[in-house]
Amino acid sequence: MTWFQAMLLAVLQGASELFPVSSLGHTVLVPALLRWRFDRTDPTFLAFVVALHLGTALALVAFYFRDWERIVRALVASVVRGKLSDDPCEKLGWLLVVGTIPVALLGVFLQEPVRRFFGSSAIVSCFLIVNAFVMFAGEALRRRAAGAQRDLERLTWGDAAKVGFAQSAALLPGISRSGASIVAGLLLGLRHDDAARYSFLLATPVILAASALEIPKLFEPAAHAVLAQSAVGCILAGLTAYASVAFLTRWFHSHDLRPFGWYCLLFGSLCLALTLAKVIT
Amino acid sequence: MKVVAFLLAVAFFVVAALYLAGLLQFGAATPGRHLKHAVLFGILGVLSLVWMRFGAGPERAR
Repeated sequence: MTWFQAMLLAVLQGASELFPVSSLGHTVLVPALLRWRFDRTDPTFLAFVVALHLGTALALVAFYFRDWERIVRALVASVVRGKLSDDPCEKLGWLLVVGTIPVALLGVFLQEPVRRFFGSSAIVSCFLIVNAFVMFAGEALRRRAAGAQRDLERLTWGDAAKVGFAQSAALLPGISRSGASIVAGLLLGLRHDDAARYSFLLATPVILAASALEIPKLFEPAAHAVLAQSAVGCILAGLTAYASVAFLTRWFHSHDLRPFGWYCLLFGSLCLALTLAKVIT
Repeated sequence: MKVVAFLLAVAFFVVAALYLAGLLQFGAATPGRHLKHAVLFGILGVLSLVWMRFGAGPERAR
């Protein structure tokens, strides 16, 4: 892996992890388009990917640090008290806990087989197109039920689990984690900005835990070859992720998911056509 | 419900220990110890204890 490849992958990961366009899909399709050959099971490459995810997770924690501080305090206080209160941060914290359980369970048990079966460029391109239609459908249904808006703290435990299950769809390469969970939030009556905020908060523990559990890979002998690239990649992915979440939180105050849907539709169709024409494999 | 929450917690901790020791291979891609699975079931065990602490129901503080 050259420095240029490493830095491009870092920027790609940092941006596409939070934009509703599927980071996993892009990390399969973009190297295929550029004819980069990576062995995804190589310990060196895995260590580098861990560093990128760690950077993304730390950027999310940094961006929502104040929120997490309040949420964790409220959660600890409620456990100590042994009762729930009307504190919105506490409610949000438990909603995030409930929403994280489905994706953690499904992720641990299904991630490997799903990626093995659905890792080809053609399938990833198809899922990227599906991702576009999920966002279009979500927006259309949301507009139809425009009157039924509610606040984030009004979600029920069942609603939180539904968003968690929706987020699990991102195990399929090409389906976006944030796209699926924002659409689920919209269908439950959240505004775009609340759905996006909940989606990013919900993604944080999953990405952080997944990368933290893989940190030992960074200290394996094979990882020494890419230590400098991993360190710079981690910082670059983190900076890109921070800029992305800052942009998206503003974007969703006044815009919707459709532009990302059009992008996924066009990029997915292009990659599918190139795959079928055997230009990319 | 407190008893159910406690029994769930015990079950989750046992499963976590079995994954950690490499004695349980269900849903694992490769043989050996499974830290991710163990951590997941350990966290579910802790959450079950929290549920028990709450009296296994969403009772609100006054």
